[in-house]
Amino acid sequence: MRLDPNDPRLTAYALGELDETEQEAIERDLLHSDAAAQQTVEEIRETARLLKEDFSSEPGLKLSEPQRSSIELKLQSGKGRSLFSPSRGLYAAGTLLAAASLFLVVYLKWSDSRKSLEIAVDIERNARIIGKGGMPAPSVVHPPIQKEPNDGMSNPKQEREVPHGQVLSPASGISGIVKDASGAVISGAKVLIRPHGISHETHLTSDPSGAFHARNLPAGSFDVTVSSPGFKTFSQQVRLKANDELRLQTQLQVGEITQTVMVTAASPSLNTNASSSLSASSSHIGQSGGMGGGVFKQIHGLSAFNRRSQSMQYDSEERESFRDKGRYHQDFNTEAYDRLVDNPFLRATQNPLSTFSIDVDTAAYANLRRFLSSGALPPKDAVRIEEMVNYFAYSYAGPKNSDPFSAQVEVASAPWKPEHRLVKVGLKGREIAQDKRPPSNLVFLIDVSGSMQPPNKLPLIKRGLPLLVEKLTENDRVAIVVYAGASGLVLPSTACDHKAKVLAALENLEAGGSTNGGSGIQLAYDTAIANFIKGGTNRVILATDGDFNVGVTNQGELTRLIEEKAKSGVFLSVLGFGMGNYKDSTLEKLADKGNGNYAYVDSLQEARKVLVEEMGGTLITIAKDVKMQVEFNPALVGAYRLIGYENRILRAEDFNDDTKDAGEIGAGHTVTALYEVVPAGKEVALPGIDALKYQKLVGATRESKSGELLTLKLRYKEPDGATSKLMQFPVSDRGTGWAQASRDFKFASAVTALGMILRDSPYKGNATVGSVLELAEAGKGEDKQGYRAEFIELVRAAKQLVEGRRVTD
Amino acid sequence: MKRSENQDQDNDVKALLNRLQGPLIRYALQITGDLESARDVVQDTFLQLCSENCAALNGHLEPWLFTVCRNRALDVRRKEDRMNPLSETTAEPNSDNPDALVSMEQTETFQSALKILETLPASQKEVIRLKFQSELSYKEISQVTGLSVTNVGFLIHAGLKTIRQTMLAQAREDSRILRRIK
Repeated sequence: MRLDPNDPRLTAYALGELDETEQEAIERDLLHSDAAAQQTVEEIRETARLLKEDFSSEPGLKLSEPQRSSIELKLQSGKGRSLFSPSRGLYAAGTLLAAASLFLVVYLKWSDSRKSLEIAVDIERNARIIGKGGMPAPSVVHPPIQKEPNDGMSNPKQEREVPHGQVLSPASGISGIVKDASGAVISGAKVLIRPHGISHETHLTSDPSGAFHARNLPAGSFDVTVSSPGFKTFSQQVRLKANDELRLQTQLQVGEITQTVMVTAASPSLNTNASSSLSASSSHIGQSGGMGGGVFKQIHGLSAFNRRSQSMQYDSEERESFRDKGRYHQDFNTEAYDRLVDNPFLRATQNPLSTFSIDVDTAAYANLRRFLSSGALPPKDAVRIEEMVNYFAYSYAGPKNSDPFSAQVEVASAPWKPEHRLVKVGLKGREIAQDKRPPSNLVFLIDVSGSMQPPNKLPLIKRGLPLLVEKLTENDRVAIVVYAGASGLVLPSTACDHKAKVLAALENLEAGGSTNGGSGIQLAYDTAIANFIKGGTNRVILATDGDFNVGVTNQGELTRLIEEKAKSGVFLSVLGFGMGNYKDSTLEKLADKGNGNYAYVDSLQEARKVLVEEMGGTLITIAKDVKMQVEFNPALVGAYRLIGYENRILRAEDFNDDTKDAGEIGAGHTVTALYEVVPAGKEVALPGIDALKYQKLVGATRESKSGELLTLKLRYKEPDGATSKLMQFPVSDRGTGWAQASRDFKFASAVTALGMILRDSPYKGNATVGSVLELAEAGKGEDKQGYRAEFIELVRAAKQLVEGRRVTD
Repeated sequence: MKRSENQDQDNDVKALLNRLQGPLIRYALQITGDLESARDVVQDTFLQLCSENCAALNGHLEPWLFTVCRNRALDVRRKEDRMNPLSETTAEPNSDNPDALVSMEQTETFQSALKILETLPASQKEVIRLKFQSELSYKEISQVTGLSVTNVGFLIHAGLKTIRQTMLAQAREDSRILRRIK
């Protein structure tokens, strides 16, 4: 029977929708039909493929964060049992393989003719899809030839080479964009890709947009080296899986010791269909000049039969998805941050008490620095303002009496909203001289899983921890526990008069395998407890990227384990390393629950800051469960807002509850918290509450007329104590303007303002990056270690990025 | 130490959410014509999934999600229509528009498949998206839309034909222009 090209069964057949008998019937009929019917089948398949390609290039729509959280919340309370089928496979990729070029015959004439023409980029792309005549010359030394067996379906006249050989190739690729520290692209950089064990090197040169792309690489390990005159050579070991597209963000540094490497090794998309179009479009980057990395999505979106110009006209949804420049990074990595919502203004009459746990973590700042210096804005949820402020040391006077820490308060106008008052509370832990340091029992718990291989992870740990070991004395003991697929004690607790032994053990660490953080933590705590020094420092120092992928990966279980272990009197320090699959949220929670602190280490300098300069603070806890409660005087305060500390808020009644865990202060640590206060009488745009019907607000006490703005109350426990002690300080406002405030005040408010800008906080007032810069410079002061100068540099880097964000809005 | 089954289910739903939120929102958007309400529809769909007995849905979870999504979206549209009786004068994003092909500008020779798709009748658009974006089978589409499998097949066939022929016509036109330039 002859088939009519107009028969709907032909479409169903082409799409693989028929059952076996029907399919056979059609195939039989096809043999007897004219070429038109066969051609129709191919055309249908090609059209289907193009449709899919276009669909996959549509911007991904997502639920908003609150919508998502509501679902996750419901899940947690849900009761259903799971028996999900494994996810449906791809729509039969086999039909694509069968796509023969009959449909393309129509084009051959013009695709031949076009060779001599200067044709727009998009037509060239069409030609590539249409037939091999239009295939652009590969930008790599390996020719992309992949012979595929003929599948019997196709016309005998057809080329034996599958037209989409490149697309369907099982080989992998490495691509990237070479940039300098400011994010500018570097063209002409030499890229060398050398497979391990094979002497077949690939040499590439980055094009005018800084891009390079090596295709058709076999799976395996490679050394990628990027060099350009005037820059430090970048080298990176990468592992390539079959059918994988690895995208490196290579950033070349000028005359620096540390290398900042941004590796995003995740396969960029979930299905082979999309990833094949990805590799196709990446090859395009190499062909056309002037396309920076930022337009990657756009290039990806270009498809056959598609003549959208580069100045694509986005519809409103597309515009929305391009709004956040940071998204470009977020899409392709697996970093995890918990959602953070700015604390709102609260009326002093309704909520006179503000209670929170102090926090000496600094990780968010170092992480933010990593983003900004690599030319990207950090995800909003990665910006924790209190950690930014607390990264810097302030010149607060230490305690004069026997208290473990002192407290001081400064009030001046808020630089970003001069009609508001800014209250800065500073705590300073007692300094403990190096020779008075109690003996310590340290357990290094080191993640040596495969994900720790990059130079900014295990190799950095191996250079950083010796800095600390050098400072230890014969009174101190160190043990080393490693964990990967299995965990083990590499070095039993060893007194530090045998430093060489400790250093050798560190030196011999190597990364490989999966990560079982759970049992490693168990072993580390057991080792610490076995060597417990009473009255000394007993601490587990966890160095990891936080990517626990086997064992106890359930965050709840992991934090419960840590919480349980913290009761033994062993404290925890968490050092976060690396990027890409960095699990910020897990690590912060671990440190929180483990009576500990948390720092992010991205360079040797940072390791020195955390482990040597702030060794006392990192190792010696002088007060634990430190809580702060502020009572505002409604006679002077209309409303107030705690800036940052969003995930540290406690209920008012938790303040006096000694069973409630809170933050620790280490020796010499400074802790800073800021409140923005709206003076009484000034109106605030707050969702008002109706006046109460049955009661009116009870009258004020005599103290409310004392002129005090607020009372600061602190509770803390001695490191080995179980009951808390209370400190109270009344505070008055002298009406100082911020210009007259201390340098520390100016600097802390500059850091806060930058945080609010990066978070795009609704409370940022008239803060601009420019004003932050002025404020930071005014507050820089002596800055012996240069951290504030570094901040000022970061503000400059942020300026361009934030302004860029505004343009894309 | 092994993860609890509940945890597995959480992860399954989350994976499902990650994978299907895009197609589902887009599907709902076709019906509601408004992105915000499309998102709300998909949120509701997943919330309903959470309270469903997943074992019973095993094997036809995806069509189930699309069916719930579709019904919710239709509810929303009906409600919107009631609330905005004046909206008829504005362009209805879902209306069938058989004249669209004719009015397509001849000057724009190359069109993405997507653009041509937009000119198709809503019923064809819907099944084509379900087929090629959400990758449902004819049978699953029939479950979601309530159309018969034959009907689904016909709509897809007709839609693909229009897209194909429009593109081919464009390609011929283009090669003619190119020859002339030469």
